[in-house]
Amino acid sequence: MNYVKERLGRLSTISLIAVLAVGLMAAMVAGLSIGNYYIEFWDVWNIVVDNIVYKLSFGHIVLGDPDYWGEGVKYDIVMSIRSPRVVMAAVIGACLAMSGVVMQATVQNPLADPYILGMSSGASLGATVSIAVGLSGFLGAALGNYGIATMAFIGSFGSALFVLGLSSAGGRTTSVKLVLSGTIVASLVGAISNLIVVFFADKDEMQEISFWLMGSFAGTTWSKIIIPLAAFIICSVVFTTQIRHLNTMLTGDDVATTLGIDLSKKRRLFVLFTSLLTGTAVCFCGMIGFVGLIIPHIVRGLTGNNHWKLLPVACVVGALFLVVCDILCRVMVPGNELPIGILTAFCGAPVFAYILIKRTYSFGGS
Amino acid sequence: MIDIHDLEITLGHKNIIKKVDVHVGENEFVGLIGPNGSGKSTMLKAVYRVISKYEGDIMVMGDELKRMTIHESALRTSVVPQHTYSPFDFKVIDVVLMGRSPHKKSMEFDNAEDRAIATEALKKVDMFEFADRSFFTLSGGEQQRIVLARAMAQQTPCMMLDEPTNHLDIKYQLQLMDVVKSLGLTVLAALHDLNIAAEYCDKLYLLKNGEVYAYGTPEEVLTPKNIMAVYGAEAIVTRSSNTGFLHIEYVSNHAKTARGEKTRPGWKEPRFFKTRTASADAVGSRRPGRPPGAFVLIAF
Repeated sequence: MNYVKERLGRLSTISLIAVLAVGLMAAMVAGLSIGNYYIEFWDVWNIVVDNIVYKLSFGHIVLGDPDYWGEGVKYDIVMSIRSPRVVMAAVIGACLAMSGVVMQATVQNPLADPYILGMSSGASLGATVSIAVGLSGFLGAALGNYGIATMAFIGSFGSALFVLGLSSAGGRTTSVKLVLSGTIVASLVGAISNLIVVFFADKDEMQEISFWLMGSFAGTTWSKIIIPLAAFIICSVVFTTQIRHLNTMLTGDDVATTLGIDLSKKRRLFVLFTSLLTGTAVCFCGMIGFVGLIIPHIVRGLTGNNHWKLLPVACVVGALFLVVCDILCRVMVPGNELPIGILTAFCGAPVFAYILIKRTYSFGGS
Repeated sequence: MIDIHDLEITLGHKNIIKKVDVHVGENEFVGLIGPNGSGKSTMLKAVYRVISKYEGDIMVMGDELKRMTIHESALRTSVVPQHTYSPFDFKVIDVVLMGRSPHKKSMEFDNAEDRAIATEALKKVDMFEFADRSFFTLSGGEQQRIVLARAMAQQTPCMMLDEPTNHLDIKYQLQLMDVVKSLGLTVLAALHDLNIAAEYCDKLYLLKNGEVYAYGTPEEVLTPKNIMAVYGAEAIVTRSSNTGFLHIEYVSNHAKTARGEKTRPGWKEPRFFKTRTASADAVGSRRPGRPPGAFVLIAF
């Protein structure tokens, strides 16, 4: 670990991102070829490249044989089933890692992540409500297909505000109060979700809801990617404009105030946008825990706490992590698929335990 | 520069600060002294805006604090807080550069000028060679000097110190105070050590239970009578022939026992010393050699 750290420490941020991006690309290509039905690398390569060139040139440039890359089983698997799934995994990984980084700065606590702060539970409550109870009348008509996404966002934002409010009640927010409030809100919101499932959901809906509780990228289509991608782009722009404030906030409440940061304003802003990220992630892929916690942890070790480096690198590493996890989910149990939330928890818990046990770990010292 | 008028702070149900007036003139070094729980930190926190619920007026450079944004007040006052802990580590130079934040837009990078200011500040606190070290690897005293450098990099006309020398070795206590004094800023400092307060401050406010018990020059405030009434400790105040500053010696029960005097443990502060006037003539009236303990005898 130290050797890797030392090596990576010498790379500039841009080359670090470049290296990681190449790794991400490789993982995504692997994600296209590995699965129940194995497809050779060159087949994947030809199908992807030829299709991209064809579509980008609006049909003017045709490489290779269209009968080979334009139709057939391999084409369907690569372009319609696996590509959206792999891209979705990358986008969601970046979203979760980014929201973890920002959440940790917001509450000045390296233990914060959307999962621990109850945002994910809130989002799944929102999703549960809209699936099981159904949105009707004006609300349902206005939101249309985006009903679940909107409800997930409202749920995650509401529970984040609830956690922030609860932890700041009767004085100042401390990390212990924050984690406790997160636990309280998460279990309360979880209980409400379960209540709704018991009383309102039929068998199909129950299965749909259990999808949220474990997380999966199965069944992703191209049209589903638009919202998470848009959320990611909006939030990266917003957070990029706030990077200096994010850095300053890490020095703690009092110091940040004396350095001119209006904490309550910034907290609200960051909670709003992290819950946008978490809400969309949970809505489209269910609860995928630990990504927002471990990825920032690992990346802090590599880049230090300066958000100019931390934020982009964390996004790429988060994307890489979920793409790899998704591949593993597809191949670990032959003929079946593992929900990805289970796998990230299996990966995340030991890493987190290691972080806790290793005493010298100082959350991103250089 | 800093005018506090009728300040009242209630935390929970406890009235921590009661109708306090404090005035800090331009380029004055003013100390807030008083025992633990007398409200000096609470008062400072209101001035540096960590506590926002208060009654009364706090004016910084002629403007009411409540009408200023937090960003505006960060351009006027910098703070060296009590030792704070943040779980996130940074390089020393990055910590100092954070002091430039109020002068920068959020997207702006630190430029050569900022780096020069930060380097200059680090040199002043004698920590330049630590610039690339990690903040967490420094000792408490070194960290406090970096925090001072950060406050200096903020380049504000006023600076507030909240018991800055706590946990520091004596060398660094003096060094830190020397650096602050040499800046010639308007300083409001909560101080623990009366000798340091006597040496560096132009004016002192002695707080007791959230009220100003006495104020004025160190000579006027640091009298054995006041120290007894507020701290409940017996003291001998002399003017040091070596430094020319006031020197406060404390007379412990142990010291008296060693000299064969009778003592009783656990005594309370005498009630009839609650005078608001601080008399200067008490200074030096108790020469070493004269048996201390007159107050103790009266107390019982």
